[in-house]
Amino acid sequence: MRVRCSQLVKVFPGVRALDGVDLDLRPGTVHALLGENGAGKSTLIKVLTGVHRADGGTVTLGEDGETRTVAFSRPLDAQAAGIGVVHQERNLVPSFSVAENIALQALPRRAGVVDRAAVRDLARRCLAQLDLDLDVDQPVAELSVAHMQLVEIAKALATDSQVLLLDEPTASLTADEADRLYAVVRRLREQGHVVVLVTHKLEEVFAIADVVTVLRDGRSVAGSVPLATLTRGDVVDLMVGRAHTELELSERSVDRAGTPALELRGVSTSVGHRGIDLAVHRGEIVGLYGLVGAGRSELVRALLGLDSVTGGEVLVDGDAVTIRSVGDALRRHRIGYVTENRKEEGVFLTQNLARNVAVTVWDRLARFGLVRDRDEKDLLATYRDRLGIRLSGPDQLAGQLSGGNQQKISLAKWLAADCSVLVVDEPTVGIDVRTKAAFHELIVELADQGLAILLITSDLPEMVTLADRVAVMHERRITGELLNSHHYTSMSAQVIRLVHGESAVDDPPAA
Amino acid sequence: MNRKSTATPRGGPETDVQPPRLDAPVPDDGHGPEGTAAERVGPRAAGLPWWANPRVGLVVVIAVLVLGFSSARPAFLDVELTLVPLQRDIAVFAVVGLAQLAALSLGHMNLAVGRMAALAAFSAGLCYDRFGAPLVVGLVVALVVGALVGALAGGIITATGVNSFVVTLALDFGLLGVVALLYDRFAGGVAFSVRPPGLDALRSDTFSDYCAGSVCGPPVPLLVPFALVALLAVGLFFGRTRQGREILMTGSSPRAARASGIPVGRRIVTAHALSGLLAGLAGFMLATANGAFSASIGESFLLPSFLAPVLGGTLLAGGAVSAFGTVLGATLTSVIQKGLNLLQFEADALQIFIGVVLVVALSLDRIRQVLAERRGVRP
Amino acid sequence: MSTVLDEDMGAGAGQGAGASRRTALSLHRTELVLALVAVAGFGVLAATTGGNILQPGTMQAVLQFLAVPIVVGLAQMVVLSVGQMNLSVGALTGLCAMAAASLMADSGLTPWLALPAALLVGALAGLVNGTLVVLTRINGFIVTLATMSVISGLRFSINGTGTYQDYSPGLVRLGRADVLGLPVVFLVAVATAVLVWFFFARCVAGRMLLASGGNPFAARLSGISNDRSVVLAHLLSGLLAAVAGVLVVALSGSVNASVGDDLLLPSFAAPIIGGVVLTGGVVSVLGTCLAAFIVRLVDVAQAQYGINPRWVDLVVGAVVLGAVLVSQRRGKGSS
Repeated sequence: MRVRCSQLVKVFPGVRALDGVDLDLRPGTVHALLGENGAGKSTLIKVLTGVHRADGGTVTLGEDGETRTVAFSRPLDAQAAGIGVVHQERNLVPSFSVAENIALQALPRRAGVVDRAAVRDLARRCLAQLDLDLDVDQPVAELSVAHMQLVEIAKALATDSQVLLLDEPTASLTADEADRLYAVVRRLREQGHVVVLVTHKLEEVFAIADVVTVLRDGRSVAGSVPLATLTRGDVVDLMVGRAHTELELSERSVDRAGTPALELRGVSTSVGHRGIDLAVHRGEIVGLYGLVGAGRSELVRALLGLDSVTGGEVLVDGDAVTIRSVGDALRRHRIGYVTENRKEEGVFLTQNLARNVAVTVWDRLARFGLVRDRDEKDLLATYRDRLGIRLSGPDQLAGQLSGGNQQKISLAKWLAADCSVLVVDEPTVGIDVRTKAAFHELIVELADQGLAILLITSDLPEMVTLADRVAVMHERRITGELLNSHHYTSMSAQVIRLVHGESAVDDPPAA
Repeated sequence: MNRKSTATPRGGPETDVQPPRLDAPVPDDGHGPEGTAAERVGPRAAGLPWWANPRVGLVVVIAVLVLGFSSARPAFLDVELTLVPLQRDIAVFAVVGLAQLAALSLGHMNLAVGRMAALAAFSAGLCYDRFGAPLVVGLVVALVVGALVGALAGGIITATGVNSFVVTLALDFGLLGVVALLYDRFAGGVAFSVRPPGLDALRSDTFSDYCAGSVCGPPVPLLVPFALVALLAVGLFFGRTRQGREILMTGSSPRAARASGIPVGRRIVTAHALSGLLAGLAGFMLATANGAFSASIGESFLLPSFLAPVLGGTLLAGGAVSAFGTVLGATLTSVIQKGLNLLQFEADALQIFIGVVLVVALSLDRIRQVLAERRGVRP
Repeated sequence: MSTVLDEDMGAGAGQGAGASRRTALSLHRTELVLALVAVAGFGVLAATTGGNILQPGTMQAVLQFLAVPIVVGLAQMVVLSVGQMNLSVGALTGLCAMAAASLMADSGLTPWLALPAALLVGALAGLVNGTLVVLTRINGFIVTLATMSVISGLRFSINGTGTYQDYSPGLVRLGRADVLGLPVVFLVAVATAVLVWFFFARCVAGRMLLASGGNPFAARLSGISNDRSVVLAHLLSGLLAAVAGVLVVALSGSVNASVGDDLLLPSFAAPIIGGVVLTGGVVSVLGTCLAAFIVRLVDVAQAQYGINPRWVDLVVGAVVLGAVLVSQRRGKGSS
């Protein structure tokens, strides 16, 4: 089945998430869908799977002779049309067997009783189609993540999915497991399915994809181009574009002579980091770059006591310290952490804005042990003005704000606490372009005021724009550190080499 | 860890503003965001019109009931016969409701609220009986014992990560046995018979019994100030203090609380200790009102403890509480009870009435919220 | 970009799924441990009482009074399977018992009509519970708290505080009869347990309940209506509570409105000890029955040794907490 999207548009308040996307999925191909964060991949997949309805453009199914235009209004419609998504383990019932999970959408039955033989047969057929040998009676809960994913693919086949969307399928797989997944993907291609691969990993794309679509700012800058015609460099250029270098920030100078505000010496953690060296000076923005899953956030979480540091030294202003909790980091060492999980950890969605900002400073605001609402509101007003937060009033709930404004609230509580070191984790994910630029200026301004900032981002242009130095992490190790030339082409090339475990030195900075 | 780190959807604008359904009471079946958002929006929701406030409805309902009852039976306004005992009931059940509210603030439950009261009342009784302690010492002991048992519940929940429902259920069973055994051992199985000086006055006097010259106090039982102090203290604690607010934040989102530097474990222990302390106070008050420290104290606490805060607009999900609403909720149930009693309804009609009122009140609440949202409160 | 549908659907499913996964792994071992505890407890009891409880009369009493706890535990387990709770279980058992007795004593119906009518009452009450939960989207805990109050009242409104006796000598004879040394009421409870097991293990509807409870997100994507699952679970819970009520009527020979007052907390204890999680998706009929048996053994031990009956509650409390801790620890070890 061929699926063609033409000029898809999806508008959210304040931002055009999709702004004319073309996509042509032909049977028997592996189609890579690439793009930086915020380019619109998520939204495109949601439109294709019936989670969102497109505001413009068409989706047509079928070959030239008999095509039909469709608009899915719910996920089941997309499924019925033969479009299946594979999540990581999300879509399985853990206590059920492999067979039953595969057959769940239409359990074979006889008089209301599950026909277990038919369930097993169906499951075996689907698994055989993938050339997989799994015990169909095993509970899914006992499987590895990799196997769960394969079961999900089999499940999609059980409903006769012709189009399979694999969303970042190898993010948590080992190299061997990934190879097996690729073998399955190739097999599906031979059988005439379309496999859409959403991924950040270029090596993966070049290993198995035939066709590539690159999204940038909600547009398809390369629509269904045969991969054979492109080099890796071309793809990177398409992804990052040139438009992003437009934010010109004044030259900054950082004094790296003194004691670093935060320094890690040979730190290892309970989540697998070994020998991490990293230093952030006052007034400096150090970028920590890497692929999703490289272990950047995990390092910071361990540092702040959300996981544990098992070896090496953590120094704050030159003194070796042990940080047991975020409260510890905040109150004793004045380190703040703007988390990447904005909705789960960054803000309290069901609490009002004043409390969201004041949560870190109630002990300071309290007089005779009592906090006055007025002081909280004053605090919020201060940061509303300073950060440009758009809100209707201090009693508004954080859940009612847009993503960008939520992020500002999440930042404001650490500024209110008067932190001297700020760890900012993926600050602009899912934030529209204008707010993003404002955020960038804000981060630089904070550094200029003397804060030491450790910036974690997967957004390369953002990194090149903001960071003074870039440390690259790959598989829980720092693979290199670069002084940022702010020259996009050369920096991105060097960083991407480091990301893939190559050395950066053979291509000296052009600047 | 990888999966954890990629749990946030990258890319695409996040314009959906509905909060995640942490409590997930009903598996959602595609009814869209409005239903779920309303569930989590606390009483402090921004911009909800005044009529969407559950307390306003409660006051109206209580007023209507009082009017109705007193016109049907003028005896409803009789001070000695109705109003004084009614105030005593309200005082006890308001404190019971506040005890549950302390656990609900976290999104937890305290099923052992009645048994904590029983143990606390036993401790007070023991002090009077064995050591001839003055009235106030027994009260303090009751509060301390209640707080300690509550802290124990909180400690178990924090240390094991087991659901508060299960922990307090187990604790309830355990305390049921312990309390009975203690009474067997120290009071010959029934109740303490000794009454310290002042207990009888506390039990039956009202302020109108105390006169300065010709000016006497209002016909308010001496027990009422206990409830008022509890109300003020709880209101102040959750509304104004760092600890109370941090408990609410923890109830709202434990993950965000942890990531914002709140000592989540300690706050859980504190909230449960407060719950136990208030249960202890309620146990003492009921024992005083009954005039006996017996093993049956607290047996009837469990359901009213949920009724009062829930009617008053406190959510089971945690993160938002209304101490004043809890008192109104306790008032409503007590008024219904007294009124139907006077109208010579049987106990059965009473229970049916209270159950129906609860369903209707909560349903209306939902309708109000949905209406309020339709009027464009949400952006 | 790994979870495309994340924010739109079934948030919170992940957490529940993780919990039920651990429990699924440890469930069989929980059942095994409970079986061992039951056998060992029974053995110790038999040995230390000089075989007293193996006497036919004693044994029958042990099993007779096991019937209602088993069925009530199952009634709670059914709603726990979708992550709900039913606080009206005990009151409903009482209401159905009173309804059956009243239909026989006051209306003169035969048990053949009165008992099915009582079952219908239970199922209807369950249907109301489920429908209210789905329609109002109010937490099931609160909804059933309210309906519990209503049902309690109805229970008393049938005959006030009066007692029904001699409603059906035949039925009571049957209730106290035994087949091959096994009391009939116990056999009914076991048959009910087998049916519930069959429902959850083999029937499409039962599997759908478990899918809704285990991962609402996945269930929804597989075309399962989670609302329907909630309603069905409450309906079945009401029906099972009614079965318990009928057993009480047959067993005791006299019923009054206080029947069911002391059943609510035990209804939670049995499934929780049996390894059922509050978040839904996992049930254990065997575990629930074994837990009810163990609690019964504690009762028997108290009677046999002449211990203060108050120790029973203390022990049950310790067992509840201990069972959950043990299965949680094991769950952690195996994940």
